[in-house]
Parts: sequence; structure tokens; C-alpha cells
Amino acid sequence: MGTLVFIPAWNEEASIEAVVADVREHLPAADILVVDDGSTDATTERARAAGVLVAALPFNQGLGAALQTGYLYALREGYECCAHLDADGQHPASEVRRLLAEVEADRADLVIGSRYRDPDVPAESDDYRPTFSRRIGTSVFRFFLTLATRQRFTDTTSGMRAANRRVMQLFSENYSPDFAEIESLQLAVRQGLRVEEVPVRMLERAGGSSFLTPLRSAFFIFKGVVVLLVGQFRPRQAEAEQ
Amino acid sequence: MSVLPAAAGDPTQVHLTSQTRILAAIIAVAFMLLILEMIRRDRLQERYSVIWFVAGLGMLAGAAFPGLLELVADLMGVRDTNVALFSIVLLLLLGLALNFSVIMSKQAAQITRLAQERAIEKAREQAIEDRNGGSAEQPLDPKEKRLQG
Repeated sequence: MGTLVFIPAWNEEASIEAVVADVREHLPAADILVVDDGSTDATTERARAAGVLVAALPFNQGLGAALQTGYLYALREGYECCAHLDADGQHPASEVRRLLAEVEADRADLVIGSRYRDPDVPAESDDYRPTFSRRIGTSVFRFFLTLATRQRFTDTTSGMRAANRRVMQLFSENYSPDFAEIESLQLAVRQGLRVEEVPVRMLERAGGSSFLTPLRSAFFIFKGVVVLLVGQFRPRQAEAEQ
Repeated sequence: MSVLPAAAGDPTQVHLTSQTRILAAIIAVAFMLLILEMIRRDRLQERYSVIWFVAGLGMLAGAAFPGLLELVADLMGVRDTNVALFSIVLLLLLGLALNFSVIMSKQAAQITRLAQERAIEKAREQAIEDRNGGSAEQPLDPKEKRLQG
């Protein structure tokens, strides 16, 4: 069976319809699922009005749990491939299509869309520009994740990904609710999956605001490093099977 | 302060007074009765009460056989048995707190999975509704209705 594109959304009523429309336009063959992470606004209603299925979590659980819901749904419904993108309009669906193409061609199990694009491509006016605290966090995570996986990653917290069934199986069982993006990369590499990064174009946010204040950023970074450290002591697949 | 290890029978060793022992025994018994009562009223599940009974029995044993506690104090190199008692209780509480964190983590994971299952169910319900023309009141399609009629 085909492809599922799921969109984790938490209070994104301002942008959800546009994101759904964008996915429909660029990925007409894919089924769309909005995972509403306990929104208190009209995210679910707007998504339903846009004619897509909504898996609404009864209360806010965090991005990790929302993404896992998507992977679980894709696995259970028998989709061959799945992809997810943020609901705030930062991720153009045309770029998601490129990630999916990599998975469909079986060149990788998990493909990450990296906002740190080729330097040769000229930046456009609405292109993504990282803030200062975001840049620090990115460098720290990049360093530790590369150290942990011995594979080069540039955009460790990217929420634009495409995956096949092997990844669905892994993530639907093991997905950290606290630190979804980074730990999942470490986990996938440690389990021997082929993880690939593809440079993509990302946009500035269309609606809502980033949750990262400086203090929160510092805590976020600290937590991330601890999570990565602990992750290094989890058994690899080969070891676990013995 | 002496750097020599405290030996058994050391005249400077501070023992528990019988008053302390009686008080401890009463508290231990009262505590275990409270646990029993809470289980009886369904305020506490049996599986989480075991650890509290162990704690209560330990306290009772310490009150009944002061030699036990003094032995532990000697092993710890503590001259004052009261200090040893405090240290043991502190360690026990630390262990209990950790135990609760473990239980909490497990339950948090279970709650998350429950919420996810419900969310997926809701999406499936919506898919069925959409197929039936947007109405939950007509879950059967006309062919099935005819069969029933």
C-alpha cells in the first residue's frame, strides 16, 4: 500500500489548512493524517474541514508521542512509506516529496530533511534563518550526535522526515517522548538502519511562535546531551538479539 | 574525635534508650495497621504495599532487637546508634523515592500508549464516517441494511 504523510500539530489552527493544501498539491497520491497533540484551539476542526483524517490525542503529550502516533498508524494501516512535516508551515511539501523519493528508491530507511542547505544554492527572501540560541543548540547537538553515531548530521532537530516500514516498526515501539528528534536518530543508527540526510529548503514560520526562550534553550540542550549519553548505553540490535 | 573504628562493647557507644525503642515499636505497629486499613478501603493496592510492610517490619525488628541495630552501626563505623538509624531510614526513603519514579515512568508510558491507541481509533472512526457520507448514525451501508431487513 501507499504513502502516508502525517502532520503533528499542537495549536496550529492558523497554519494547518495551508499545510494540508500544500501536501495535497505536491503529494496527491499520499494519504494525509493530522496528529493533533491535545490542541486547545480549533486545529482538529480545521483539519477535518480540510477533509483529512485526524488522530486527536486526548491531552498534550509532547512531539515525541505525537510522532509515534503517526508511525504507529502508518504501521498498522500497512503503508509502505511515511513522511512527516511540521504543521507551522516551515516545511514545503515539495521538499518532502524529495525525501520520500529516497525512501521509495530504497536508498535509505530514514531520510532527514536538513535546513542547512548547500552553500552554493543562493538563499531566497523567505528562507529559514536560524536564531542565535538555535545556532548554539544546533552546533552542540551536531557535535554530540556525530560523536555518538560516527555519522555526520547537520540538522539534528529537523521535523521533516521520510521513513519505510523498518523505521515504523522501530519507532512505534521505541520513541522517546521527551527528546524525539535526536534520540530517534541515534537509535536508528545504532539499530543498523540506513539514515540519510538530504538538504532541503525551509521557510520562516507562517504562524505561531517558537517555544525556545534562552533559558529553555539551555535546558533543552542540557537534556539533549544527557539523553544522548544515556542512549549510548542502550543495547544495539546485534547485542540485544544474543 | 577518635579515628579508631568503634568496636562492639565500646563504652563510648551511644545506645538507644528503652523509651526510644518502645516509641519506635508503637509507631511501627501503628504504621502497619494504617497500611492494612488503606488496603481494606482500596486506597492502596496490595502490590504497592509490600515495600511499606517491609519498612514497618524492619522498624519493629530494630526496636525489638537493639543488638541488630548496634551491629549495623558498628559495621558502618558509627559510634552513635541513633545516627546509624537515621542513615538507614534515609537510605530506605531514597530507595522508595526511586521505586516510585520507576513506577511513574512505567505508568507514563502506559498512559501515552493508551492516548495514542485512542487517537488512532478516532481517526479510524472518522474514516468510516467519511465513507458513510459524513454521518455516524448510518454505520451500515444500504446492502447490509437490506440483508438485515
